[in-house]
Amino acid sequence: MTIRRILHYPDPRLRRQANPVPEVTDDIRRLVDDMAETMYDAPGIGLAAIQVNEPWRLIVIDISQTRDRLQVFINPEILSREGEQELEEGCLSVPGIYEPVARAHSIRARALNRDGQAFEIEAEHLLASCIQHEIDHLDGKVFVDYLSRLKQSRIRKKLEKQQQLAM
Amino acid sequence: MKQAPQAAKRAGTRINPRALAAQVVDEVVVRARYLDAALTETLAALPRAQARDAALVQEMSYGTLRWFDQLAAIAALFLDKPLKTKDQDVYALLLVGLYQLRYMRVARHAAVKETVEATAALKKPWAKNLLNACLRASLREEARAQAAITASPEAAFSHPAWLLEEIKHHWPGNWAAILVANNERPPLALRVNRLHQSRDQYLARLAQAGIAASVHACSETAVVLDTPVAVSELPGFAEGDVSVQDAAAQLAATLLDAQPGERVLDACAAPGGKTGHLLEHSALAELVALDREPARVKLIEENLTRLGLSAKTVIGDAANPAPWWDGRPFDRILADAPCSATGVIRRHPDIKIRRRPEDLPRLVATQERILDGLWPLLKPGGKLLYATCSILPVENENQMAAFRRRHPDAAEDVLPMSAGRARAMGRQILPGEAGMDGFYYARLRKN
Repeated sequence: MTIRRILHYPDPRLRRQANPVPEVTDDIRRLVDDMAETMYDAPGIGLAAIQVNEPWRLIVIDISQTRDRLQVFINPEILSREGEQELEEGCLSVPGIYEPVARAHSIRARALNRDGQAFEIEAEHLLASCIQHEIDHLDGKVFVDYLSRLKQSRIRKKLEKQQQLAM
Repeated sequence: MKQAPQAAKRAGTRINPRALAAQVVDEVVVRARYLDAALTETLAALPRAQARDAALVQEMSYGTLRWFDQLAAIAALFLDKPLKTKDQDVYALLLVGLYQLRYMRVARHAAVKETVEATAALKKPWAKNLLNACLRASLREEARAQAAITASPEAAFSHPAWLLEEIKHHWPGNWAAILVANNERPPLALRVNRLHQSRDQYLARLAQAGIAASVHACSETAVVLDTPVAVSELPGFAEGDVSVQDAAAQLAATLLDAQPGERVLDACAAPGGKTGHLLEHSALAELVALDREPARVKLIEENLTRLGLSAKTVIGDAANPAPWWDGRPFDRILADAPCSATGVIRRHPDIKIRRRPEDLPRLVATQERILDGLWPLLKPGGKLLYATCSILPVENENQMAAFRRRHPDAAEDVLPMSAGRARAMGRQILPGEAGMDGFYYARLRKN
């Protein structure tokens, strides 16, 4: 288990399209474990592989308060969406920024688990937003893309400044 | 994704369940408290919003104590030196962490992180690095930990050496099965109150409530659930339609075989499980329920109130009847004597920690005094049923043999019972046998 470095917005590598996982191998499972550890350490409630610079369609989520309900989604797909909600979101790749984002209130999704077995899940509220947020990452999208241009440029400047200071 | 700070803050006021489990374990190990008492007290302090965590705290407390000796053996590999006496709570937390990694289906990273963070709740932030290092090392060096466990029977079976030797000595052909059964999670067994409904009727009510269960073959009143549920979910529990009681304990009423109109004494009656059963079983002329401790006599009364039954409760010592006995003899006496409780370790894993070898002579002496004290209270021709939840002969068949040597007017009355195995006197059910708790029964007839 290793804690991976998380890419920070506006890193262009966050814009890549992730590849489907052809087979759930031990290497993929190791990546899952690393991602889970990285997410718990951050701490966050969801992490997409692309955020640790691994261009695979793979996300890990744990929205439980007990931090013991890890959910792994390999090659996730959203089958249906219903309703609308606006939750305040943040992102491990966009530290310190929290903004409301409108998304579907409930969704049905399909994916493979850590053992490579297919499953379907119905999610709503926080879990629904979280799955949609992470799948966006796999398509090169970040939640700030939903904000106004003005807000986007402010956030970009703020983070670029922080990153320069950190160097 | 990261949760917005307001939402995270709302969630952040919760008490770390790992810290709570560590406190419970510490109370049992350091202060020799009863696990169920320590757990009830701790859970009572849990905020309402956190009620969901109660099951987690319970699972971690019971599990850590169930595997205490094994987890301690793993901890010893990765701790440079033992923790100080005042830091035993940190040690308990380490064991709680190891328990999760070895026995719970939680994400390992989350288990490590949450356990390490619980040091803050214990107000021992300095222990953060120590716990982190030990827990991670145990993951990295799993093979070494496994080798250490395999090399030591104490660690492999998770029993203290003296108790392991004691069981091995007395049960040379069964000791390993006993030790394994002691570490298993016990089933939830119920006693159906047949004054309210038949066992089949209650099974149907359970099925209707979506609770899968089956009858227990050894008892006419016992039902065993496939998966334990909270007592509050049992249909008709508050109305006294059913009680929680292991099938082995339910044999007592049948074996005492009190007849309608008889006068019966339930000595050492608290908390009243068997008292209730005796009243459900037959229409007695009078049942006297005796216990030494006023607080525990109250438990008997509460239990009987729930069942809608009544007995004459008496505070007194079975070993010394003069102050409380009215001189009228009893037709039947149930002597469910205090014992080592070595038959019910699967229900009370703290017994492995609290019980010391030096307790045994004291318990045997108490049982002897109780039996001698009760014998004169029995009518000629009357019967006394001796029961323990022990599997140690010194408390069971040896105790009975010694009693008969002291009392020539006592004859063994063969028990109409097929469960368990015959001993020199009486019958022994071993833990896990037919899914039951470990119990011993013997019946004496007064000539």
